[in-house]
This record gives sequence, C-alpha cells and structure tokens, in this order.
Amino acid sequence: MRKFGFFLAMTIVLITLTVGCAKGEIKEGKGTTVSGDFIDGQSGGDAETLNWILAADATSFSYVGHTLDSLATYDNQWNLQLRCLAKDIEVSPDGLVYTVTIRGDLKWSDGSPVTAEDYVYTLKNLMFSDWLNYPYKSDWQEEVDGKTIFVTPQVVNDTTFTITRQTVYPEFIYTIYNLTPYPKYIAVNYEGNVEAFTQAPEFNNLTYTGNLGPYRFKEWVRNDRFVVEKNPDYYLGKDIGAPYFGQYIIKLFNSPATMQAALEAGDITESGIEPAEVNRFRSMPNIKVYTIPTTGYWLLAYNQRANGWEGLKDKTVRQALSMAISKQTISQAILLGFAEPAYSFIPATSQWYTDKGVAKYGVVPLYDKQKAAELLYQEGYGIKENDGTIKVTNKDGTPLNLVLVVSTGNKQSEDTAFSIRKDLLALGIETEIKLIPWATLLRQYVMNTVPGSKQEPAYNNGLDALSQQSWDLILMGFGTNLLSPSGSHVFFTSGGGLNYFGYSNPEVDELFNRVRSKEALDKNVRQQIYAEMSRVLSEEQPVDFLVFNRANVGFQKNVMRIEPGINMGYNYYMWYFEPAK
Amino acid sequence: MGRSWLRDYIIKRLLYSVIIACGILTITFVLVRVGPSSPADKYLANIAARGQDVSQVIAAIEARYGVDKPIFQQYADYMGNLFRGNWGWSFSTSMPVIELIKTHWIYSFQLILLSSLFAAFLGVLIGIYSAVKQYTKVDYAFTFFSFIGISIPNFWLGIMLILVFSVRLGLFKTYYDTTLPLFSLDNLKALVLPVITLGTGMLAGYVRYTRSAMLDNLRKAFVTTARAKGLPERTVIGKHVFRNALLPLVTIIMFDLGSIVFGGAYLTEIIFGIPGLGQISFNAIFANDYPVVVAVTIIGTFIVLLVNLVTDVTYTYLDPRIRYD
Amino acid sequence: MTERLRDIVRRTSQHLRSNARLINYYWQRTQRNKLAVFGLAFIIFLVLLAAIGPFFTLDPTAVNFEEKNMPPVGFTIEQSVYNIETDEFTTKEIPGTWKHPLGTDSKGRDMLAMIVSGARVSLQVGLIATGIAIILGTIIGVMSAYLGGWADNALMRFTDVMMTFPFFLLLVLIVFIFGPSLVFIVLAIGLTGWTGTARLIRSEALSLRTREFVIAAKALGASDNRVIFRHLIPNVISLIIIIATLSIPGVILAEAALSFIGLGDPTVSSWGIILEAGQTSLNTAWWVAVEPGIMLFLTVLAFNFLGDGLRDAFDPKSNM
Repeated sequence: MRKFGFFLAMTIVLITLTVGCAKGEIKEGKGTTVSGDFIDGQSGGDAETLNWILAADATSFSYVGHTLDSLATYDNQWNLQLRCLAKDIEVSPDGLVYTVTIRGDLKWSDGSPVTAEDYVYTLKNLMFSDWLNYPYKSDWQEEVDGKTIFVTPQVVNDTTFTITRQTVYPEFIYTIYNLTPYPKYIAVNYEGNVEAFTQAPEFNNLTYTGNLGPYRFKEWVRNDRFVVEKNPDYYLGKDIGAPYFGQYIIKLFNSPATMQAALEAGDITESGIEPAEVNRFRSMPNIKVYTIPTTGYWLLAYNQRANGWEGLKDKTVRQALSMAISKQTISQAILLGFAEPAYSFIPATSQWYTDKGVAKYGVVPLYDKQKAAELLYQEGYGIKENDGTIKVTNKDGTPLNLVLVVSTGNKQSEDTAFSIRKDLLALGIETEIKLIPWATLLRQYVMNTVPGSKQEPAYNNGLDALSQQSWDLILMGFGTNLLSPSGSHVFFTSGGGLNYFGYSNPEVDELFNRVRSKEALDKNVRQQIYAEMSRVLSEEQPVDFLVFNRANVGFQKNVMRIEPGINMGYNYYMWYFEPAK
Repeated sequence: MGRSWLRDYIIKRLLYSVIIACGILTITFVLVRVGPSSPADKYLANIAARGQDVSQVIAAIEARYGVDKPIFQQYADYMGNLFRGNWGWSFSTSMPVIELIKTHWIYSFQLILLSSLFAAFLGVLIGIYSAVKQYTKVDYAFTFFSFIGISIPNFWLGIMLILVFSVRLGLFKTYYDTTLPLFSLDNLKALVLPVITLGTGMLAGYVRYTRSAMLDNLRKAFVTTARAKGLPERTVIGKHVFRNALLPLVTIIMFDLGSIVFGGAYLTEIIFGIPGLGQISFNAIFANDYPVVVAVTIIGTFIVLLVNLVTDVTYTYLDPRIRYD
Repeated sequence: MTERLRDIVRRTSQHLRSNARLINYYWQRTQRNKLAVFGLAFIIFLVLLAAIGPFFTLDPTAVNFEEKNMPPVGFTIEQSVYNIETDEFTTKEIPGTWKHPLGTDSKGRDMLAMIVSGARVSLQVGLIATGIAIILGTIIGVMSAYLGGWADNALMRFTDVMMTFPFFLLLVLIVFIFGPSLVFIVLAIGLTGWTGTARLIRSEALSLRTREFVIAAKALGASDNRVIFRHLIPNVISLIIIIATLSIPGVILAEAALSFIGLGDPTVSSWGIILEAGQTSLNTAWWVAVEPGIMLFLTVLAFNFLGDGLRDAFDPKSNM
C-alpha cells in the first residue's frame, strides 16, 4: 500500500496543489449557491504537519494546498493555468533569469499584502537555510565548477522578483510554479530556532493564509479528519462565489475497504476505488467512476554493481530477462487491466513520449521465453538438456539463483514479485523473494558505500560502491514528473543521485545533459532528445520498465463540473453539488 | 477501630507505583530509542526520489528531532521535561503530546467503559442464572457459548461483524464517525459493533467466573443456614451468595479494565477506525514518535496501577477481615 | 545445564511412570468432560494435519495468477478485467472447483494447502513460545518461593514491573524494533508472557515449601538446587501442564494479532498472515479472511476445552 499509495498521493498532490488561477473564465453557468460539504475519502495515512516546509510526505502538501495556491498549474490538456501569477513567468533569452510577477491583490490574514519579499524570504531565509534544513532544497541548487550552490532570488519590486541561475535548466520553471510563500512578518520571529519554528502555532494552524486559497483551515483531528471551510475572500473565487462547498473535509480511513463502503453508502463524496471493485461501482446509479492515468510506474532494477549477478552487466542478458517477464500478467491478472505496459520512464500520456523505435520487451513479440533462454545460452548462461530445451545456469553450469527484493505493505507489488519469480522459473532460474520493510530496504539494499572507505552511505557513491546486502533484482515503484521527465536523470546517469543499481552509459549521460541545457529550450529539440532517450533506454534495459498504473476515482453523481483527466483536480474549486430536484 | 494502617498502606503503594512507573517509562524509552529505525526513515523515500545527499539530510532531521544526542542526555532531557509538565512534541502529528492525548483519550475511554459495563452486567447476570440453574440445558448452553466467547479471536470477530452487519446488511456504518456528539443515540449506535467485539471475550470470562464463584459459595454452610431460616430464595442468592462472590469478581473486573487498555482495545480501535489512544500509539510506534509512545504507556501503566490500588482498598471495605500490614 | 534438564525430565517421567495409576486416575476424570475430549481430539487432528498434511495437499507456495481469487467449492464469484482501449469490462463467472476446495488467494495459491502449512507454523509458535514462557516463569517462580527473603522480593518486584507493562504494546515495540521475523516474534512472546506463570508457580511452590518432604530433604542435607530441581519442580508439573494448555491459545492469538497489524513474518504463511492478506479484500474474496479465522477459533477453543477439563480433573475439590 505504501509505495503505490505514495504515488497515488503524488498524483493527488498534482491534482490538489493545482489550486489555481483560471484565466478568469467560468466554463458553464455563472455562480452556483454554496451547499453541502465535500467529503474526500483517503486511506493512505494522515499528514504529518501543516507547517509544510518541514514536511516530507505528499499528504501534508496536499492538505495545505487547499489553503494556499501555488504560482501555476496545468489543466488536463497541459494548458498553463496561472494562479497567483498575473502573467506567465518570463525567462530571459539565455535561459538564466526567471522573472516572476504576482498579483497585487493577495493578502495575508492580518490584511497585509503578500509581496515578492515574502517569496524571496521563503527561498533565501527558509528553504536555503542551514538551521531549517528543508528536505527539498536540492530543487533549488545547481552544480557550478564542481560545487553545489543555490540559485539567486532577488526582489525587484512589491510584486516582482527574479531568480537567477548560472546553468541552464529548462525544466526549472516547473519548480518555480510550485512555489508557495511563508509570511515573512511571522517567520522572522522564529528565524534561527528550528524548534520554535516547528511548534509555531501560526504555521501549525494555518492562521495566516489570507485570501490565497479557496478554503481556510478549520480543524484537524489527527487520524480522523481534516476540515477546511469556504474562504469567501478567495482571490479567484470571490467574484463568482466560488468555492461552492461550505466545507471541504478529508476523512481518513484505515483501509480502502471501509472507505469504499462509505462511498457506496453515500457517506462520503469522493474516494479512490480498488481495481477489483471498479466494475461494481460503475454499475451503481448514484456513483460515477473515472479511470485516470497516473505518473507512477513499476520497474525491476537490475543490479549492475559488483555484488549482483555478473550476468546483469551484460546488456543481452538484461534484454533476455526482460523478454521472459510478462507484462501482460502484471497488467491484466494482477492489476485487472488498470495498467499498461511500460517501455520507458516517460509515460505514453506525456507530451514527451514517442513510440517510434522503442523496443517493447515483455510483450509479444518481444515476450518469448524460448528466445530468452536462447539468448542467455548464447551468452554462456545455460546448458542444453537432452530433449533440446535450454536450462539457464551459471557460466560453470551450476544452478542460477537470484535474489529479488521487494518492499512490504503493497499487496500488488508482492503479487508482481511472485509473478516475476514464476516467469524466471520457466527458464530454470530460481528466484528468492525477500520481503523487506521499505526503510530497511533502502538502508540495506539501496544505499551503498565503497568497501573499505569510511564514507557515509548514499544512494550512489560512485560505480564502485556496494550496498550492505547483496541483491540481484529490486522491484519498486517510481514516478516521472510528466512536465519535466528529465528529473529521472537521478536514475539513469552515471552520477545520478538515485542510480543505486550502478548503470553507466556515456550516451545516456550525454542525452540527459543536453536536455538540461540551452539547446533544449527549444521544445522541438527537447522532444527529439526525449524520444532518443526512450529509444536508447528501452534497448539498454538498465531496468525492466514494467507497467504504468491507472487510478480509479469515484464520485457521488451530483458533483458537477468535473473534468476527468490526469490533472482533474485543477478546477476543483469550481465544483458544486447539483441542486436536488 | 482505626484505619490508620490503611492510610500508610496507600501511601506505600503510591510510592511503589511511582517507582514501577519510572521503571516502565525507562524501559519503553530505551526500547523505542534503541531500535535501528529512526524518525528519518520516512524521509528516505523522498530523499531517494530527489537524489539528495542522504546522510546529510538524515543528520539534519535527527538533529531537528533531537535524537542525535547521546541516549542518556535524551533520557535526562525527557525526564526533566516530564516532571515540569512538558510531555514533548509529537513529530508524526506535529502537536504537543498533551494536546494529542487530550483530544483522543475520550474515544478510548468511552469504548472501554461501555464494553466493561456491557460485559460486567450481562456476564454477571448470566453467570448467576447459570449457577442457580446448574446442570440444566440452559446452563450447558451458556457454558458452551462462554467458551466460544473467550476463544473467538477478537480482531477476527470485529472484521466478521463489519462484513456481515455493515457491508452486507448495511445496518451500521463501516467506520466510526467522530462528528457525532458523544452523548447522542447515534454515537451509541456507532459503538454497538466495537463494544460487542471488545466485550465478548470479557463477557464470557465473567460468565464463567461468576458461575464458578457462585457455585463455590452455594455449597457453603451459611447458605444452608439462610435457607433453614426460611429466607426467600432470591434473598439467599442475591444477598448472601452473591455478596461473597463479589469480592473476587470485583478483582477480575478491575483487572480486566486495566489490562484491556492495551491489547483488545488497541485492535478494536484499529479495526473500527476509532481514533483513540490505541490507534495513536500504534501509529506513533510505526513513525518512531517516541514521546507519544512513552506518554501512552505511562497512562496505561498508571491506570493499571491505580486500578490495582483501588481494588485492593475496596477489598478492605468489602471484607473487613482483610488487613494489609 | 543440559545435564540438569535431562535430569529433570527423567525424574518427572519416572515420577509419572511410577504412578501409572495416578495418571490413569487423572485421565479418567478428564475423560468425563466431553468437551475436553473433543478438544484433545481436535488438537491431535491438528498435529497430524501439520505433520503429514503437507504431503497430501498441493504446494502452498505455487503461484498461479490465472487461478487467483477462486472461491471455495459451491460458490461462484464474478471477476472483471478492464480493457483500457475500449473502456469496457470483460466479466467472467468463476466457480469453485474441487481442485481448490477451499478456494485460492490473490496469488492463486491453494487455500487448503496454505491452511495446512499454517497449522504447522501456528503450532510451532504456540509450543515454542509457550515453552519459553513456562520455563522462564517456572524457574523464576520456584526460585523466588524457595529462596525467599530479598531474592524473593527483588524477583517479585521485577515481575510486577513486567506484569504492569502493557503486554501487547511491549510486543509490538519489540517486534517493530527488531524486525518481523518469526524467530523474534517467538522470542518476544515468550519473553513477555512469563509473568502469570511465575506468580502462580510461586504461590504453589510456597505452599509446598512448608510440606514435610521438603523439610525432610533439607534435614538430610540436600542442597538448595537439589531441593528445587528434584523435589519442588516435579510437584508443580500438573500445574505447569494446565498453565501450558491454557497459554498456548493466547500465544497463537498473539502471533495472529501481530500479523494482523502488519508485524508478522511475511515469509511464512501462518494463519495470521493469511488473515491479514484477506482483510483487505473482504468484499471480493471473503474466504481468505474467514477460513484462517475459523481455524484460529477452533484451535483456541480446543485448547480452552482441554485446559479447562484438565483443571477440573486435577482439582481435588471439584466433584466429577
């Protein structure tokens, strides 16, 4: 549950953090009267804190997002929806200076205006500071002359500020779009004292949010519900009367089963639905179900470091293994059809995905256990039995045993691990499945150090580093940022911070460098580079890309103005209950 | 007759309880802190996703949580704060521990109270009836059912009840709604299934115990005397036999009260989604949020010790022959 | 140390053997309690199931996603698979078959096979953890009673602390910290569950201490150890048997409860683990949660019947 839940949550973050400024249009009908409470069911665990700069979990951000807008978001068709920006962010021709202009009518709860100073203060004094140690500060850092430095924010006037980089990174703009400010006039009182900042009542109770969000904080009963009430001053909504719900309540459930039962009974307005129940919910007269693509995908990492099976260093071997693992079983039998096979880290729904030339292992015709065995035999990893069949073994003929590590807590990924094991067994490979709690998995199998050195473990301490425990395959979930897939460089470049499986290919390194450079400012060029990436990686198989998941969301039928799609929450402040006849 | 010894006894017990509580506190603290997992664990996934410098972020987070100091220092800090009334800050829920407990204890309390009352009343009544009608079919039936009651795993009973009564029959909600006012009929209705789940085991235990205690006393000499005196059967049972069985029965009820705070109530809360102390402490353990774990343990321990003391003192009133010296 | 253990066992069985009539007497009394007999019969059945059952069932680890979530024989269930391109469902009716009489789980593993192998795990956990708890409790109880004085006081205070400690919370803590492997779970349960035994054994031993045979032994110059191990312990055997029988169900349930909240050992298929997997799919595959629950219930019931019967049989005051 945890891993998949994380990525579902990430999606929901994308959905709900897109509180935004529509370009002033109202799609149909003018305002609608405010009625009822929207109850959103969640079963992935409660948020950690509303003091969002300290939070590590996506849930915390999603809660806060109801009270604070970010600078921009996207609708389902990837049109930019500006929020607190009056105009788009301007990028200088050399790609190094970003100019951000915010609206002039934003106010904190005490009436004072929200200014560029608040934004810059949040960046320089909070996010970049040592005393606070913001977990995501690396989003705002760049490598210059081998050193890691922060970008430079600067106030221009009350409503404008700039951020200056020294290296070009076209996708940096998406980081800026997500920026939300802390009120400087309150934060200065806690500056330097992380304990006081952590316990600050203003930040923990969101008392400062002013007119920046469609809702205002009302109450938070831990492990039970998070309630925000309609904000009549909402800068986007006050002219049209939005939002149209008296309260927005996030109700927490212990398990998806009870949550779905509550949806069925009409006790809550919206909830996620598990694959096995979707058909049943679709046929209910009072519920409408949407099936939406997500950015989450599963992959099987091949350990190319020294403490994995030596065969994995060989590209043909990796291709053969991927050829033997059925993606159909995973998407059809385990996920009941709510998934599609993945061949690259970029999902098919992204504007950057190109199908051409991509090698599609794991589905017919590149799903062929026979051929896979032959390929392995070719590389020396097999023996021919009397009847002509090939049994895959080590180079010296001894039986081949692999270790597959998967984290506990998610039944579907467990099932996938078993399916993979079964596929490999058909080749004669014995796979031992290790079910390890996620944090332990990260510590013992993912983090690595160079043997004999005294360095701190990291996710990629160079290609010579080894993890504490040896492993061959790790099954995990990941998510690609649809807007800036180049974030996946952490996975696939030699120095990538998350390249724990030790893949190294200068061609790929070069591609990722190019996509984060000046030439990629041109969208067409970027498209080509991404297409090439998909092509190369699908052939190289550093990991076996397994499937992209789909999520299912159910609503009571009377919720209006929902636009289904990958970012369907972007206009949620416009939703309303259809008046009862 | 002076009861001064009682006062001395109570004082001695209170002191003694404090020592035990400290012992338990220390053990809990050490256990939670000594484990290989750390509060930074939940950041690991996100650090992974960002490709950041893991050890640096972990060090900073642990510094923020105050868990990087040597354990004796942490212990001393914590104890010092505790005695000054500061129970610490819960990291996993970002609120003061005292606030957390204040907002959630009532849910555990009402569950435990109702379950105990349900189990005690029903159990004792059935037990008495069963004892009086010993060897009849009714007695056998009750005995059989009480075996079933104490054998059924209560967490399984809980999910079965939900499956049948909430999901299939739709008679009850599948989750506990905290927006209902505490003293409302709706709230009571919402607690029916949890109380049955938690109370069944205790109920069966009380039935058996009451029955055997009653049987023991029914054989005694004073009963024959009372009957010989011509007292109506109801008085014999109610006034004489039951009174004598009361003492050990009270012990058991009190003991159960103290011990189900953790254990049965814990699981029931999790199954039914009741945000009581059980669920809070459970989440806190998984989040390595040690102030909460220690705080809830102290409370549970304190309740047990208090209940034991009250029981022992009640004994002296129920049976004046008892003296603690 | 093993020497002495062997000594004890030898002495105890000698004691019991030389009193065949005594054993027969107790057995007669136990037999009169029909429920106790049922309990014993079920337990024997369970032991047989655990020991030889796996040879007759399918492989409980054989995964087959084509046969996932099949209902037990006699039931039929609908399964729908979604087609992304057409946005339609293909629904199939899946009936239960005799190949999988109790159905299958979400990975297509045979439920009957898993229940049988789960019996083995649950019994092992029950016996070993109870064994640890009983041994620990007996040693502490007897030593405390016999040595008396400050040793008794210290041991009893320590027992008090452990007893006041919320048992389940302690269990969760220990298993969470040291990792959910079966070894730790068994150890944790054993090391936290001895307090009741210690108390009971101590009071029994205290009463025995003043009996003639002990005084006689000491008068003859027997050492403390000798008195403890050769005289006191064999006399509390009957009490130990009863305590053990009544503790085993609690232990089995404790392991199941731990698995239920997610702290079970995921590499073994104990009933608790199966139940935990089943509770998330209660609506679609109810048998995965119901079947292990029934087994747990029956097992606990059987031990309770037996233990109760034994207690009545050994109690001279109860007239049977």
